[in-house]
Amino acid sequence: MKISFLLHNAYGIGGTITTTFNLAQALARRHTVEIVSVLRHRERPHFALDPRVALRPLVDLRQEKEHPLHLRPAQVFPAAEYRYEQYSELTDQRIGACLEAIDADVVVGTRPGLNVHLALQAPAHVARVGQEHLTLDNHPPRLRTALRRAYRRLDVLTTVTEADADAYRRKMRLPGVRIEALPNSVPDPVLPPADGTAKVVVAAGRLVPVKRYDLIIEAFARVAAEHPDWQLRIYGKGEEHDRLRALVLRLGLSDNVLLMGPAAPMEAEWVKGSIGAAASNFEPFGMTLVEAMRCGLPVVSTDCPYGPGEIIQDGVDGRLVPVGDTAAFGAALLELVRDDERRRRMGRAAVENARRFAPGPVLEQAERLLERAVAARRAGRPAAEDRDPVRRVLVGQGFAARDAVHATGSHALRTLRRGRR
Amino acid sequence: MSTDQDIEPRVDCTVDADGRTVFGVHPAPAAPRARLLLALRPAKDEPERTTRLLDLGPADGTHRRTAVLPVEQRLPEGRWDLYLLPEPDGERQRLRAGPRDLRALVDGAARDRSAPVAARVPYVTKGGFLALRTWLRDAHAEAGRITLADGTLTARLRLHGAESGPRPGVWLRLRGRAGTELAAEVRVAADHRDLSFTASLADLAAPAAAARSGRCIWDVFVRPGGAVPPVRVSRFLDDLADRKDIQVYPEVPVGEALVRPYYTVDNDLSVVVTRTG
Repeated sequence: MKISFLLHNAYGIGGTITTTFNLAQALARRHTVEIVSVLRHRERPHFALDPRVALRPLVDLRQEKEHPLHLRPAQVFPAAEYRYEQYSELTDQRIGACLEAIDADVVVGTRPGLNVHLALQAPAHVARVGQEHLTLDNHPPRLRTALRRAYRRLDVLTTVTEADADAYRRKMRLPGVRIEALPNSVPDPVLPPADGTAKVVVAAGRLVPVKRYDLIIEAFARVAAEHPDWQLRIYGKGEEHDRLRALVLRLGLSDNVLLMGPAAPMEAEWVKGSIGAAASNFEPFGMTLVEAMRCGLPVVSTDCPYGPGEIIQDGVDGRLVPVGDTAAFGAALLELVRDDERRRRMGRAAVENARRFAPGPVLEQAERLLERAVAARRAGRPAAEDRDPVRRVLVGQGFAARDAVHATGSHALRTLRRGRR
Repeated sequence: MSTDQDIEPRVDCTVDADGRTVFGVHPAPAAPRARLLLALRPAKDEPERTTRLLDLGPADGTHRRTAVLPVEQRLPEGRWDLYLLPEPDGERQRLRAGPRDLRALVDGAARDRSAPVAARVPYVTKGGFLALRTWLRDAHAEAGRITLADGTLTARLRLHGAESGPRPGVWLRLRGRAGTELAAEVRVAADHRDLSFTASLADLAAPAAAARSGRCIWDVFVRPGGAVPPVRVSRFLDDLADRKDIQVYPEVPVGEALVRPYYTVDNDLSVVVTRTG
C-alpha cells in the first residue's frame, strides 16, 4: 500500500507526533509511507524519523509566516477546531492541492480539522482514515456538529480507547463508517526492565494542572512519613513547576521529592524506579502509563476518562483509584511500597500485559484497518455494515439535535450565565 | 532528512554496581583502531590538558563496539566530554548520547567507599552529547537528610574513606572572607562514620547584615580528627550529576535575612544568606 499521514506539525513535540512517527515507521517496513506535515517551523523534527518514511511539509513558517493568504482565516478547516488560529486560506489551499494530487491508496488524518479536510477533499479513489487522539465528549458542541457532517464521508475512524469509540458509535450517526479503537503503540524498551528493588516512585509528563502532580506530591507525603528512604521523582517541565516546587517546600519534602526537569527518552529514568504514578483528571489515552509498564513498573493511576481503565488491570498490573482522591492515592502507593513481593509481581505482570501496546500488535491491527478501507473504497461499498441501522439513526439524531442546540445556543447560554453572576 | 544524521554514531553507557562503566558506540565505527577519547573540560580560556583513551572492542551482534572504563581508573574531578577518535592522529568526533542505564547508581550512597573516594555520573549535555561528571577526593562526607526547625539547621552526613576520631568538628566557612568560621554542634554514631551537625540559623544569618552585597555563603567542612585534613561536605554518590535545581530546600526567615541550604553546581553543600531588610 501507499500510505500518507496528514499531520499538523511533524517538527513539534507531543503524543500525536510520537505515535504517528511510531506507526509510520512500523508500516514503512512493508509499505510506502510518507508524512505530510501541514506546518514546519524548523529544519529537522525533534524526534529522529526513519529515512524510509518520507517527510513533506506544506507551509514553511520560516518563510511564509507573513504570506498574504496565511493572514486570512481558513474556510475549510473547521472554525471550532482547537488549532483553528494556526490555519489559514494558505493551509486550506495547500492541503487541498496536496490531497487532489495525492499518489496514495489511503490517507490517514491525525486530528479533527485534518480529518475534515480529508473527508471533504480526498479524491474518490483514495481511502480515508480519520484518527482521533482526543475524545468526542471533550470536543465543544460546535466542533461535534462540524465533525458529524464531515465524518460520514470517511471510511474508517479510529479512536485511542474503546470508551471513545463507543461514544462515537452511540452519539454520532456515521452510517458505513467503521469505528474502531486503535491504541497508541510504545516501542520495545532497549533496557532490561526494572526489578522492583529501587525505592523510587516515578511520574512523568508535561507539568500542567490537568495532570495533578500536586495530588501525587500530597499523597506521597504519607509514604515519606512512613518510609523516609523512598523518593518521588517527577520528570517534565511546564507552567506548574514553580507551584509544585513551593508545595514540596511547604510540605517539608525536599529530601524525598525531586523535580527532575525534562527527560527524553524517559526509558532510562523509568527503570530507576519501581512504581509509576499518574493522577490526571482526564487522559485521552495515557502514553506514560504504557511506557512505565513496558519498563516493568506497576502504575498507580486515577481511573479518569478514558485511557487508564483500559490500560491498567486494577490489582494485577497496577492500581486504579478514584479521580481527585489524595487519601486513596496515598494508600495505593503505600500498599505497593510496603509489600516488596506484591510490587515485583505486579511489575512482571505489567511487562507482560503491556505487550499488547507493542508496535507489532498495533501495527497488525492498523494494517488490517487500512487494507479494509482500501478494499472498501475500491469496491465502492462501506467499510462497516450497520447491524441495527434504525436504532443508530434515532439515537444519533438525538445527540445531533442536542449538539446543534448547544452550538447555536452557546452564545445565548454564555450571555445568560454572565447575567447570573 | 540528511543522511549524516542517520549514520551519526551515538554512545550509550551502563554503570554496574561495582562502578564499572561500559560505553557502547552504535553503529560500530569501521576503523579497526578507533578509540574513545575522554577530555577533561578545561577552565575558561585554558587549553585542554587532560585526556584519556579507551580501546573499543570488536563489533558485537548488534553492530555496536564497547569500551570499558574500569573502576580502578580514577579520573580527576571535573566534567569530561566524550569523542570518537577513528585514527590515532585523525579528527575527533563528539558523540551524542544514547540510553544511559544508571540504575545501579541510584542507591549508591548506601555503599561504603574506601579512600580515595571516586564517583562518576554520565549525563547528557544541553546539546545532547554524552559527558561524564567525576569527583575524586581523599575522603568524602556525603550529605543526607537536612532539617530546618526550631531556629536550627541539622544535617546528617556519612564519612567515606575516613573514620572520625572521638571529637570530629564541622565548620561552616564564610566564602570570600578568610578566617570567618562557625563551629557546629556535632554528634557521632557508634560506627564513627555517621555524623550529624546542628548550626543556629541566627548565627548563620548574622554576617548578612554587614555584607556589602546583602548576600553571603557558608561552605560546610568536616574535620574528622587526627591527621585527616578537612573534608568538604557534598552529595554525589547517586545518579544525579547536577543536583542544584533538582533537590531544593526551603528558605527560612531569620530576623532581617533568609537562610537556605543548597547544593552548588559541584553538588557541594553550602548555605546562602540573603538580607531582606
